[in-house]
Amino acid sequence: MELLEVEGLCKKYSQFTLKDVSFSIGAGEIMGLIGKNGAGKSTTLKSILNMVRPDQGKILMNGREFQRFEAECKQEIGVVFGGIDFYKYKKLSDITAVTRLFYRNWDDIAYQRYMQMFELDPKKRVNQLSSGMKVKYLITIALSHNAKLLILDEPTSGLDPVARDDLLELFLQLVKNGSRSILFSTHITSDLDKCASSITYIKNGEILKTAEKEDFIKYFQYLKRPDETGDLNLEEIMIRTERKTYHV
Amino acid sequence: MFKLIYKEFRLAAHPTLIIFMFLGLMIIIPFYPYTVVLLFGCLGPFMSFLYARETNDVFYTALLPLKKDDVVKAKWLMTIIAQVGQLLISVPVAAYKIMEKFESNPVGIDANLAFYGLGLISFAIFNFVFFTNYYRTAYKVGQAFIFAMIPCMLINFGIEALSYIPATRWLDGTSQELLIKQVPVLITGIVVYAVLMAITYKISVNRFRQVDL
Repeated sequence: MELLEVEGLCKKYSQFTLKDVSFSIGAGEIMGLIGKNGAGKSTTLKSILNMVRPDQGKILMNGREFQRFEAECKQEIGVVFGGIDFYKYKKLSDITAVTRLFYRNWDDIAYQRYMQMFELDPKKRVNQLSSGMKVKYLITIALSHNAKLLILDEPTSGLDPVARDDLLELFLQLVKNGSRSILFSTHITSDLDKCASSITYIKNGEILKTAEKEDFIKYFQYLKRPDETGDLNLEEIMIRTERKTYHV
Repeated sequence: MFKLIYKEFRLAAHPTLIIFMFLGLMIIIPFYPYTVVLLFGCLGPFMSFLYARETNDVFYTALLPLKKDDVVKAKWLMTIIAQVGQLLISVPVAAYKIMEKFESNPVGIDANLAFYGLGLISFAIFNFVFFTNYYRTAYKVGQAFIFAMIPCMLINFGIEALSYIPATRWLDGTSQELLIKQVPVLITGIVVYAVLMAITYKISVNRFRQVDL
């Protein structure tokens, strides 16, 4: 059974439509959700989490319907929205004190261990953390309640190359034992070169391709020019797929 | 339910919510329009909604292992605690003034049973308009407050005017005889508050389910 299955997700806005989005993630997988800004990556992730109400479609988590078992499913999910700060004037210890009450599998020892490992000071306020540290704090929360699925919306945006590499290395470590999975939206394709095992490409609200990374790259080699010899990388694939010509 | 309340008061509520609750003690002021106290019972939740919007409280709550409806429930419980708490804090002061036979309030209504009953109705109507408007979008908190303040202020003016209208003068005053006559007003207030808050919750939840965060 897949950890997460998204089937036929549709959402219509006045200027944008998410059309029949379907993909699935197995245990131990890191799936990269790529697409340019405004392609529908965040809408897809928010629809999965019932923050956006889809017009059609079904979300299954471990075979259970998310809408019906929302609270249960969220027990097993950790979420990081890059660029959204919660309670930026509160200390981490205050946020943790509240958050831990809601999770039945909360592990205080694991929490202390990850706080130390990531060098997070519980007395610091959210607005005193760098972007990378904020992501690490939210990952600490997710790991402390033993989340099986991490949903990360552009977690590496705005990070310097060192912090980004550090996080990507962490993601690889997190899925190593095969019990956790990561769904990770980004428009920085080099992140996925390093850590994704599969890729879902979303363009103008539609899935263009979802596949294992190697198969995905192979599929798009038709975009290569005759004089090119090596394989196109993810960035080239995305640029050539999205390229527009302006007649001005 | 305890967890939601704890989350509201530890993370989401603005400190003025607690301060304004204690302004229930303003009932001690001898010559004063006591409906101003009710105003603070509406301002406290409004400030907290405003603060919650700025601190992305709705995103945090929506990601917790809860149903989406519980985002509304948390704010609904917080508001009830703030308003009922404010009135309860003021009750010992009002009771002391009645027992010690303080001079009747010349400005408007006395802090008597009718005041508490009508105050609860004023709160209930404010909450109904405020919540049901706010949860259409989950961000237009200023607009919801303005819409809610219009009926609330009219009711509050009406409460203060009761002591000037001969037919309703029995609602003012704190003699034992008048207090007994005012008991049904208090009971009506409690019933209206309970029923209208239940309706407010139901409509707000239905509206919030349609909101895309």
